[in-house]
Amino acid sequence: MPWTAHDRPFLDPAVVSRLGTLELKARTVVEGLLSGLHRSPFKGFSVEFAEYRQYIPGDDIHTIDWKVYARSDRYVIKKFEEETNLDCHLMLDVSGSMGYGSHHAMSKFEYGACLAASLGYLMNRQRDAVGLTAFDETIVSMLPASSRPGHLMALLVTLDRLRTAHRTDVSKPLHQLADTLTKRGVVVLISDLLDDPEEIIRGLKHFQFRGIDVIVFHVLDHDEIEFPFERATRFEDLETSEEVMAVPGVVREQYLKQMGALIERYRRELGASGIDYQLVDTNQPLEIALLSYLSTRSRSL
Amino acid sequence: MLSFLAPMFLAGAAAAAVPIVLHLLKREPEARVKFAAVKLIKEAPVEYTDRRRLRELLLLALRVTALILLALAFARPFVATGAAVVSTGVTVVALDTSYSLAAPGRFARAQQLARDVVAKAPPGDLVGVVTFADEADIVAAPGSDRTLANDAIAQAATGFGATRYRSALSAASQHLAGRHGTIVVVTDLQENGWDAGDRASVPEGTTIQVVDVGAMPANLAVTAVRPLADRLVATVHNGGAAAREARVHLTIDNRPAGDAVVSLGANQSGEATFAGAPRGASAAVRVEDPGGIQADNVRYAVLGGTSKPSVLLITGSGDASRDAFYLQHALATGTAADAAFQVTAASGAQLAAWTDDQLSPFAAALLLSTRGLERHGRELLAGYAQRGGGVFVAAGPDVDGDVVGDVLGAGSTLRITTPEGAKPAPRVLAPADGRHPVFHPFAGNPASLGLVTFQSIARIAGTGCQTLARFTTGDTALIECPAGDGRALIFASDLNNRWNDFPLHATFVPFVHEAVRYLGSARAHAVEYLIADAPAGVKRAPGVVTVNAARPAGAGRLIAINVDPRESDPARLSVDDFQSAVTRLKDAGRGAIQGEARQQEDQQHLWQYALAAMAVLLAAEGVLAARTS
Repeated sequence: MPWTAHDRPFLDPAVVSRLGTLELKARTVVEGLLSGLHRSPFKGFSVEFAEYRQYIPGDDIHTIDWKVYARSDRYVIKKFEEETNLDCHLMLDVSGSMGYGSHHAMSKFEYGACLAASLGYLMNRQRDAVGLTAFDETIVSMLPASSRPGHLMALLVTLDRLRTAHRTDVSKPLHQLADTLTKRGVVVLISDLLDDPEEIIRGLKHFQFRGIDVIVFHVLDHDEIEFPFERATRFEDLETSEEVMAVPGVVREQYLKQMGALIERYRRELGASGIDYQLVDTNQPLEIALLSYLSTRSRSL
Repeated sequence: MLSFLAPMFLAGAAAAAVPIVLHLLKREPEARVKFAAVKLIKEAPVEYTDRRRLRELLLLALRVTALILLALAFARPFVATGAAVVSTGVTVVALDTSYSLAAPGRFARAQQLARDVVAKAPPGDLVGVVTFADEADIVAAPGSDRTLANDAIAQAATGFGATRYRSALSAASQHLAGRHGTIVVVTDLQENGWDAGDRASVPEGTTIQVVDVGAMPANLAVTAVRPLADRLVATVHNGGAAAREARVHLTIDNRPAGDAVVSLGANQSGEATFAGAPRGASAAVRVEDPGGIQADNVRYAVLGGTSKPSVLLITGSGDASRDAFYLQHALATGTAADAAFQVTAASGAQLAAWTDDQLSPFAAALLLSTRGLERHGRELLAGYAQRGGGVFVAAGPDVDGDVVGDVLGAGSTLRITTPEGAKPAPRVLAPADGRHPVFHPFAGNPASLGLVTFQSIARIAGTGCQTLARFTTGDTALIECPAGDGRALIFASDLNNRWNDFPLHATFVPFVHEAVRYLGSARAHAVEYLIADAPAGVKRAPGVVTVNAARPAGAGRLIAINVDPRESDPARLSVDDFQSAVTRLKDAGRGAIQGEARQQEDQQHLWQYALAAMAVLLAAEGVLAARTS
């Protein structure tokens, strides 16, 4: 059963971007999301009893303690504290190209960092071990997966210190990380994937080969998807500083065609490999990406 | 030089520039975007903006040029030449070439002063040269080449004309209208250069400068020669400040005929009398004056002919002493020894038997009555007027308006009506155009005509007729109508003391004399002419010449041509007096400039080329725009 949300609107990324710290952003997004879900997302293989609680409509009837009902004729819910049963690795692309952001939204990097923080917060809350790997053409920062209570703060601090800089080489860090992981789990890749698609897909399949589930968040700015430019513009590459002067009206059609083909290729080939692919527009609420993660996680358990 | 007939339309071209100015003022800096997916842009068929910008600039230029051409076409452009060129300043040097400057060394000084004016003319000004005496000649049209102006000055020479400032200023003004400019008059400032009441008009803003050549030297002049029945009298004038003895010599038919000596006080005239009846064809009287002006040292006269123009009076009965008593005596009035005009009277009925040859010698015909004037007589007068004769019509009680219409020939629109039962009412006459020659004697005192009382008048009017005088009631008093090659003056009352008391006033005689003289001047009848009045085809130099009379064919007559004696008068003007006679008129001469400009524009039709060019540009713009979009 897929995760659904209430009819209330999600938080606009522009609003989230104005929140103070990354922790606050993550908490706001995650708590807001969870409070709107009909069904608790937290479920594991082994749990530890925590307390009883009066049943209220909407609770899963599987959680009703029938013995107590037999004794007291009351519906009581048994609450458990979940235990860690999943290693989750967040891979965040910090190459120069992620630094692009149109005027009214977060940059792809900010969006990706916020998404990573939210995922980390969510995972930490359900006692999953979460790690972070930031990369551009190499791995620039790596935080091993852990479910310790203080680990979330370390992850958030690490995210906060990251800056975009160098060129992209997605496949190389993918292979490096795939080689280091020994335990099955989930790898979440947050990147704009503006690199050689073939190499990237090969790197992601490497995880599949190691029995690790992969979720890909393909983060693109709205400008990159729609190419809304009007005036003749000098486009400067964020990574190579190469400049191209072009009239958007003339190149738009071909650009969109190229971008559409790239997205479609990722969607098709990754889907065929059992890799979850989610195109994320930085104008979209972060909750949508989180829901996608939760849906994948529920399938993984 | 490119000029425009309707330059206000050029404002439209300025409006075409507004989008460009706005574009420049509000131009945004070059758009630069740091972008992630540049690789995908590069893979698209990029049209580099340099090329597109060039194309768009070309499009903009085509559109703006098309708009400018449209405005240009409406502004009616033309390449201005001559007077139509109005943008630059002009300096016109008016050099006096009257004979008063012919004394030794004087004209050379005038030429040097004129060259100085040319040299000092503001840089960038066009410089032109006008020489003037009785008439003005443009010897160097305004131009930037000052060498031409200096050459024209060097080639100028004195003639036999008299100074007339008005002609000089009029000619110079033709080249100034519409432009800021300066007229520099190089002259000896003779007082007689302005006629009585004379004024000259120049365009507003024109600067008049006067360069004084200096006063005339001591000079003797023969100012008149009168051959009488028993003697010949010459008048000699001493224009110097000291008394002199003038030695005067008479030659008849180029043979010496007598000498005389006349003692003359400073600035005085005296007469030299040569006794005995002058016999021969022509006489010349010469005074010895080597240091003075040479042109006025000799004067010519025709002997044996009458100098009195003859005048025909057409009355009811043909008896001038009865029908035109006052007029006959006024015309006969002259000096003690000589009458001004020879008067002949005829009735309308008598004209029925006349021929053209009989009528032709008369300087003027004065129609005082139409009684008995039959068809032949009317046609005779009409033919006379058509051939250049002068006709004066006194529209008194004896004149029938319908008959007078025939007298002026076919096509005449003259209407003369006498109001039925109109009661006599006093009114006076006032000149409407005081500069007309008829009113020349009254230029100094025009009010003198106001003493005449007119009790009854006729109504006179005609298309194309010029009103010369009106009554104080507003009715027309005197008009001049076209009549072939001749002249016709129509007076709205009689000249015989019936409807008015004009003949009883002192103004009657000069009025009649000037009117007849004016009418007669259209034809050559006199035997003595001033240089300025010499008949066409006669060389403008003093002397005795033979001219062909109109009739009979092949016959010739002697006439004497003399210099204007007024030029010998040493009286001088001050520069302020000269300036005060000049009126600056707003838009004076602009009409002529505009007329010439319009004519040039009509000949060139540049606006059609502008529109054609605009059409071509718009076609090119259409093609380019289709390729750009």
